[in-house]
This record gives sequence, C-alpha cells and structure tokens, in this order.
Amino acid sequence: MARGKDKKKRKLEKKQEGDDVPKKVPHTLESLREKDETMPANADTEEQEEAQKDMELDEMATYFENSYEPKVLITYSDNPHTKTRTFGRELMKIIPNSLSRYRQRSSVKRIVQSAIREDMTDVIIVNENQKQPNGFLLIHLPNGPTAHFRLSSCKITKEMNKDHREITNHRPEVVLNNFSTRLGLTVGRMLGALFHFEPQFKGRRVVTFHNQRDYIFFRHHRYEFTKEGKRAKLCELGPRFTLKLISLQQGTFDSKHGDYEWIIAGRRHQMETSRRRFFL
Amino acid sequence: MQIKEDKEIDLFVASRIGSFKHIKYHTDPSKNSKKCIENLVDIKTLQKDDSITCMVWGSPEQTDILIGRKNQQIQVYNTLQGFTKSYTADFCEGDIVGLGRHGRRLVAAVSGGVVQVWGKKENVTYNVGKIDRMKIFDGDTTIFATGGEENDLKVYRIGETEPLFMAKNLPHDWLQLRKPVWVSDLTFLSPSELAVCSRHGYIRLYDTRAQRRPVCNVECDKMAATCISKGFDERQVFVGFGRGQLHQVDLRRGHLDKGYKGAAGAITGVVISHGAVISCSLDRHLRVHKADTKELMYKQYLTSKLSCVLAQTASTTPMKDVKEEMELKEEIALEDLENTSEKPQKRSEDEQSQEIEAKKMKPSTEGSTADDEDAIINLLRSTEKQKKRRDKMKKIKKAKSVFHNA
Repeated sequence: MARGKDKKKRKLEKKQEGDDVPKKVPHTLESLREKDETMPANADTEEQEEAQKDMELDEMATYFENSYEPKVLITYSDNPHTKTRTFGRELMKIIPNSLSRYRQRSSVKRIVQSAIREDMTDVIIVNENQKQPNGFLLIHLPNGPTAHFRLSSCKITKEMNKDHREITNHRPEVVLNNFSTRLGLTVGRMLGALFHFEPQFKGRRVVTFHNQRDYIFFRHHRYEFTKEGKRAKLCELGPRFTLKLISLQQGTFDSKHGDYEWIIAGRRHQMETSRRRFFL
Repeated sequence: MQIKEDKEIDLFVASRIGSFKHIKYHTDPSKNSKKCIENLVDIKTLQKDDSITCMVWGSPEQTDILIGRKNQQIQVYNTLQGFTKSYTADFCEGDIVGLGRHGRRLVAAVSGGVVQVWGKKENVTYNVGKIDRMKIFDGDTTIFATGGEENDLKVYRIGETEPLFMAKNLPHDWLQLRKPVWVSDLTFLSPSELAVCSRHGYIRLYDTRAQRRPVCNVECDKMAATCISKGFDERQVFVGFGRGQLHQVDLRRGHLDKGYKGAAGAITGVVISHGAVISCSLDRHLRVHKADTKELMYKQYLTSKLSCVLAQTASTTPMKDVKEEMELKEEIALEDLENTSEKPQKRSEDEQSQEIEAKKMKPSTEGSTADDEDAIINLLRSTEKQKKRRDKMKKIKKAKSVFHNA
C-alpha cells in the first residue's frame, strides 16, 4: 500500500483525535538501540556496585576526587600545516592550563616520558593528513589509558566565520552526553578529565561532548539566559569537530607491545553485527 | 540423535580491581544463567592495591588456589572453606608474577626479580633478574622456570643455586642485528620441554635435553603475545595476544593454527578443559570456545577487567549460596533420588546441601522416605517433574531457535 494514498485520511484522524493525545516518540536507530549488557543502567544492584567500584579504582579516579588540576600538553604530527596549528591553538584556548608545543620529531613514547617529568596529566596529539587534522590521540598520564580517535569534519573558527578572540579565558563547563556503556563511561571520564573540575560560571562558556551513534560531537558555546530566566540563548564559538573511537589501550601509548582494552581494527565485521548496535 | 551429557566446569576468575568470582559453566547452554556466578570477595572492601596479578592452583587435587595481589599479599583460598591463610611477599619491589607450592612450602616470584621459597627455618631466595612470569612444573615441583623482558628463559631446581638451563637467543638476523627478547608467559609441556611466548611476536619451544636454542620458533607477525597454555596434544599450545586474538599454535609444523574469534580486548588468561578453550579478556568478558570447531559457546560480562582464569578439572565445587527457589530445590531433590543407589559420594554432598537448605527453609519431606509406597509415589512424582522440565526446556529451545523467530 502506498504511503501517500491514505495520508489525507490519517491527517483527518489526527484532527479528530485532538491535541490531547501525547506525541509519539519516533523510532530512530538510537531509540531502537540493541540492549547492551555492559550498560550499568540495566544491570542488577550487585553488578552496579562492582562497576562503581571499578570506576573508583581506575586511573582517572584521582581527578574525580578533585585532587589535582589537569595540565594538558597539545602537540601535533611533524610539520603541521596552518589549519592543524590553528586547531591546536584553539584547543589550547578551550582547555584551561594547557600548552601547545611542536613535536620536533620526537616519538610519542618520549613525549610521554617528558610530559610525566613535567607533571602533565594528559597529552593530546593531533595528527594531520593532506593538511586536514584527522587523528586525535589522548593519553592520560602517568599510567594510561590511551584513547585513539579518528577526527573528522573539523571546522576551525575562521571556517565558521567566527572570531577566535571571542573565546574568553574562563574555565568552561563540561557537558558529557550519552556515554552509557562501560566503554563509553571510560571514554567520557577521560574527556572530562581534560578540564578543570571547577568551572567559572562567570564566563558562561560550555563545552559539549555529545555522543550519538558512537560519534562524539564536540561543540563550544557561550550561553545567555533570557530575561525571564527560563531559557538560554546559545552562541556557538567554535571550533567544532567529530571524534570516533578507534581503540582504547591500557597503559600509556605502546601500539606494538601494549594491551588493548578495546580495539575495532581487524574485527569490524564480527563486532558491527547490526546497525542498531553501538559501543559507547 | 544422541543426547549429549551435560557437563559442569568450575571456573575461577580474578580481576584487576581485586574481585574474585566462581562461575559454574554448563556445557548445556540453557542452564547457564546469572545464578551460576558468585562473588567470593566482598566488593565493598576492595582497596586500590587489591588488584590480582597472579592466580594458580596450590595443589594437584585443585582444592587450593593461591592468589597474588598487587600489594604483595598472597592469599590461599580453599574451594570449600574459603580464605585460609595469607602471606606477605615484601622481599622485593614489584608485582607478584608467579606462585606455586613445593611440597607444603610456598614459592613466590616478584617482578623485581626475586623468587623466594618459604621454609621452616629460613627462606631461600633466588635472584633471577627482572621477570614477567615464573611457573612451577606440576609433575615435579622442584623445577621452576622464569623469564621476562630482556631476560630469557631460565630453569632452576630448588636446592641448586645455578640454573639447570639457560636459553640462548636466536642468531642475529641478516643485518647482524640482535633479536630482542621478552618472555611474557611460559608453560611446561613436559619436564624437559617448555613453550614460551613473547611480546615481540614469537612463540618458541625449548627442549632442555637437546640444545640451548629453541627447537621450534614460530614468528607471528609482530603480534604481542600475552599468555600461553598447554594444548590437548603434546606439541600444541594456545596463545592469547594483546590485540584480542587467540590462536592454537602447532609447534610440530611451526605455524599458527586455528583462531578463536570474539574478543575485543587483550586476552589476559587462557586455560583448557573438556575440549573447550576458556579465555578471559581486558574487555571484561569471559569466553568459552569449542576447541575443534572454533565456535563461541559462552560469553559472560563480568563488570571488571579480568586478569586470570582457572578451570577446575580434578574436582568440583558446589555453589555457596543456594538461591531460595523452589525449582532449584526440586532439582536437587530429584538428583538425590536418582543418585541414591548409584553414587554414594555425590549422595553425601547432596545431603550436605540439603542440610544447608533445611536450615534455611522448611524441613524437606523428600529424600527421607521409609515405606516402599512412599518411594513409589515419589518416583512417580519425580518422573512427572522430569516431564515438565523437559517440556519447559523444549519451549525455551523453541523460543531461542532462529527458524522459529524468523
């Protein structure tokens, strides 16, 4: 039966029903998502307790106890071009207490060593290909974990017709959306641990990591409450980019000999069994 | 069609946060459920350094488990009595990487490079250099072997200070460059044969009688091997890798055989039992594969990163907390009835469990019949129950089958 034929009929029916009928939630890939056993939300209490303990004892736990201020090093692949450089500089403006350095042909393992020596807590390495940033390696120090993301659809402020000078020096608020599985929680915690635990609300700056179908969307806004104080107006500041997890490794970077906690390379067909299956 | 007998395998799994679990795995897939998992350590009490780094059987009867923790505590767990003893291995810095029993004496290895044998009067220590693994040969507990990063395989005999055997690296490659060494795990195949796997991507077989260089060397394409286990055949091993692969390795022909798929994270422990390959992984799952068909038979999420797994083959362990459910009780009673004449040993076990139950619940009427009539009635009842159960199973199977759903 053609869809369009009885459209009028349906419309009429809808009118007759009136407005008091609650709106139906549309079926999307997200809402029909396959149940994941690692989600703490649908586990029993004992399992939840253990997952809670697992998180209390992991490497990021000290940050969530507010025991230290994060200090982040941002670096690039060798000889980055303009776009990647500006992207890194803008990241530096977004993340408080961070500094950007050129790599000077040193290896990741040595960068990690010297960053530990300098009391850094995280290292970000932005990779570049064909003048476009395309990789995002996030290493939590001093002993891991290491997350490797694919970076795509990156837009720096200039490409969004914005001014980078609008980004103030206030510490931003961080919003982590939709990280629901155990793996997602770890990734969310890692991303959250980049920022200072105490935002300066005066700056009205907010940084969002929104996970949708395993793609993590980054947005950066300044908000303003309307006069009634019920809603907030948003003004995007830029940059914007999208991350997709490639691997999560235990310990600091060691792609040859290290132990992976989760890796998709080489088993995509086994793991991506359905369009409704998501890992984060 | 031949009806397959349901077998039970008792699995013990240790994790990075220090939790320690007992899982009863049934080869019949419909019997596996969350009820078959029990925690043996209270999770609330865990501290930061409670991570379990090493876990081995303490006796050939497989009733004692030795557990090494990151805070250098060694605990002895008896499968029936619970935790019995604990020791401290503070003679050297590092994690506990190997444990074992020599007679009644405890042997422990710490990654800083010291192996200690506890004694009545004094403890004997061996300095072996930085190690990643130490293992004791089950058949002759006087022999142990060690290996680590840039510290090739060495075999010692307790009582002698010099090693029995020191492995020699392969000759330099065609560019005259030295081949790097990193023993990540090792296993004894016989008193004189050892298999070694490495994070530099090789699996080697040493024969201490023949030569110092490996008898067989299998290169596996730069995959970091993390754990190794004895196979079903004499020259066969199972090797787990840091990127989640698990392979059967044929050391006779010298290549990787079967691959067991499914893991998304590094394999941290592998054991074999009853034709099944059991592996635990950093992606927090325990998996059981059929060894010959490579089929994934069982997968269970266990909430924390797993570090070691053990399978009990010599004896069995009953579940501790019998859930207060009528079905279960019925089943036990049924088994009891069936086994009255056949297996007196099991009978006693069941009696014990019944006693426990009896304390928990109302006194059971079954199993204590005196008259013949009562026995007949009971038997009838039990057959009825069996029928019911069979019907239930059929229903479950039907619901699970692909064709029915399609």
